[in-house]
Amino acid sequence: MSRRTTLGTLFISIAAIAAGYAGAFSKSGAPTWAPWLLALGIPVALGAIMVLGALRGNSGIGALRFPFALVILILAIGFGAALALPAADGPVSKLWLGLPPRAAIVIYGIGLLPIIILPIAYAMTFEEMTLSAADLERVRAIGRANELIERDNAKDPRRSISND
Amino acid sequence: MTDHLPVGTLLQTALPSATRPAVIAVGLAYFAVIIGISIWAARRTRTANDFFVAGKGIGLIALTVASVSVSVSGFAFIGGPGLIYAVGLGAMYIVLPAAVTNVMGAWVLAKRMRLLAEVRRLITIPDAIGARYKSRVAQGLSAVAIMVGIVGYMATNALAMGVVINAIFGVGLGWGIWIGMGITLAYSAAGGILAGIYNDVFQGTLMAVASVLVFLFVLGFGGGLGEISRTILARDPTFLGPWGRLTPLAALSFFFVFSMGSLGQPQAVHKYYMLRDPLQLKWYPLLKTLGLVLVLLLYFSVGVGVKAFVLDGRLAPLASPDQATPTLLLNATPIVLAALVFSGVAAATMSAANSFLNIGAAIVTHDLPIAFGRKVGNELKWGRIVTVLIAIAAAITAQKSGAMVAFLGIFGWGLFASTLVPALAVGLNWQGATRAGAIASISAGLIVTLALEITAYRKVFTFPAGVTASAVAMVSSFLVFFIVSWLTRDTAAATIDPDIRLVMDI
Repeated sequence: MSRRTTLGTLFISIAAIAAGYAGAFSKSGAPTWAPWLLALGIPVALGAIMVLGALRGNSGIGALRFPFALVILILAIGFGAALALPAADGPVSKLWLGLPPRAAIVIYGIGLLPIIILPIAYAMTFEEMTLSAADLERVRAIGRANELIERDNAKDPRRSISND
Repeated sequence: MTDHLPVGTLLQTALPSATRPAVIAVGLAYFAVIIGISIWAARRTRTANDFFVAGKGIGLIALTVASVSVSVSGFAFIGGPGLIYAVGLGAMYIVLPAAVTNVMGAWVLAKRMRLLAEVRRLITIPDAIGARYKSRVAQGLSAVAIMVGIVGYMATNALAMGVVINAIFGVGLGWGIWIGMGITLAYSAAGGILAGIYNDVFQGTLMAVASVLVFLFVLGFGGGLGEISRTILARDPTFLGPWGRLTPLAALSFFFVFSMGSLGQPQAVHKYYMLRDPLQLKWYPLLKTLGLVLVLLLYFSVGVGVKAFVLDGRLAPLASPDQATPTLLLNATPIVLAALVFSGVAAATMSAANSFLNIGAAIVTHDLPIAFGRKVGNELKWGRIVTVLIAIAAAITAQKSGAMVAFLGIFGWGLFASTLVPALAVGLNWQGATRAGAIASISAGLIVTLALEITAYRKVFTFPAGVTASAVAMVSSFLVFFIVSWLTRDTAAATIDPDIRLVMDI
């Protein structure tokens, strides 16, 4: 997924969320499509900003597309199921791990499943896709060079990094 | 994440008295540990770098536990369970984002912020914004935005501290505020963020232990989650519906504000600067998420459990939803557990207050002078002085009316989110973001948040159900950021220094 596509996706999903809010200002109350825009827009926005953070230069996100896609789907399906499934909970309802089904989808699906997927994906791909020792050394070399420049600047206070 | 307080629902202005020997003893032991850690840290704080970013010398476990501690305020222990009691599972949408926010923060911000601290001597969030856009205006504006949010947060935390200390020691609300702020001030001024971090480690551990014990107690007392659910479903099935008593729009709005908004919270983002070894970021999101889940177990279990216990008559009906946690603790749990939780609440508020004191002092002594082209000579000395002044101002403000303090506190999270998320989180990952886009979005976030919150507070305007000022301000700020950056796209390349570009490319 390219950076341009990711940014476009982020912009569109934020715009969708904004449209959902705008719909709520209608005189007859929030239309039925308003929460759906948030239910779909929020997972896509979160996924897009995570992809944006994971992208390095012009390379894509490689294997990370699977956990990202999975979590976006989990959130979207979870919110969608909560919106779409009829209310049928009562004292004799079948419980899923101690909660009625729609509540279980929210708590376990939205609240816990992503924990199993994303932090582990982050750790497993860290050296290859996020930060390696070689990357760190490149950055530290620049840091050392900047320190020397700063010492020179201290001798001449007219020099500055800021432009405005 | 849990500092966002709907007026009238979340601000706890009174707790029942918990003044019992065991509670006082645990409270005194807690404060003794805090003082000991503070003295140790004060001896190691020698430079402004030590004072504001702990000399970039914090290990992974300490940083993780400290981050958990500062992410959770007293709301998670008192107001939050009360909100669940009042509106059902809809209140869970405030904390459900914890499943994604820590790893999202890691991908989007942690690496870039920490590497920025390698190439430049940055110590604040406005520093990062100033460096990214080569702009003192952007740095100054973001500093002003953060300061406005801190004013509110400090007042509500001071008030919350006073409430808890009064509940534990029975010294009166006024004295409680001054004692709580006094102790927080002492370790903040002496040891800076280093004292804060290690106190946060102790406080975070205390909060996690208390939360897990309460969770296990509630399950045991209630006969398991299934039994608790059946009790509620028999009498109030809406409570356990996926939205509780909230509309879907309101619940989803909570999720949006507390997920995306987490990327703009300075008390959390600022801590990325402090990690000793950037390569340890590998395990940071996993550890922090697990820690946060432990601390939030109380939030869920008390809210749902107390509802069931009131419905089946094991607890008397509550005078107000905020009494959920105190009622359970003082009527059902072992007293030592109650003492731990009350100390945990004090811990949570002091942890948050310390972070904001440190950030506020940095803004006044570092960011605002830079924005005006000046530099403070002795940042450590002035940092300590300003820390004292902010704490005193917060304690005085906290003595004002509860409604005013609540108002000041409610927009903090949203203000940080709308002013900082686009410029910082997106801007550090998109070389096409421009200086004009950043300045416009920070300004838009600030103006829209303040305008909407003030008009709502003065009842000039009422939002439709499910729409909040924070959410509107955040989407406005995002859209302004993208549109203005696109309109000024020809200037993008010129606003990135080579070292910043390297950090953004890695």
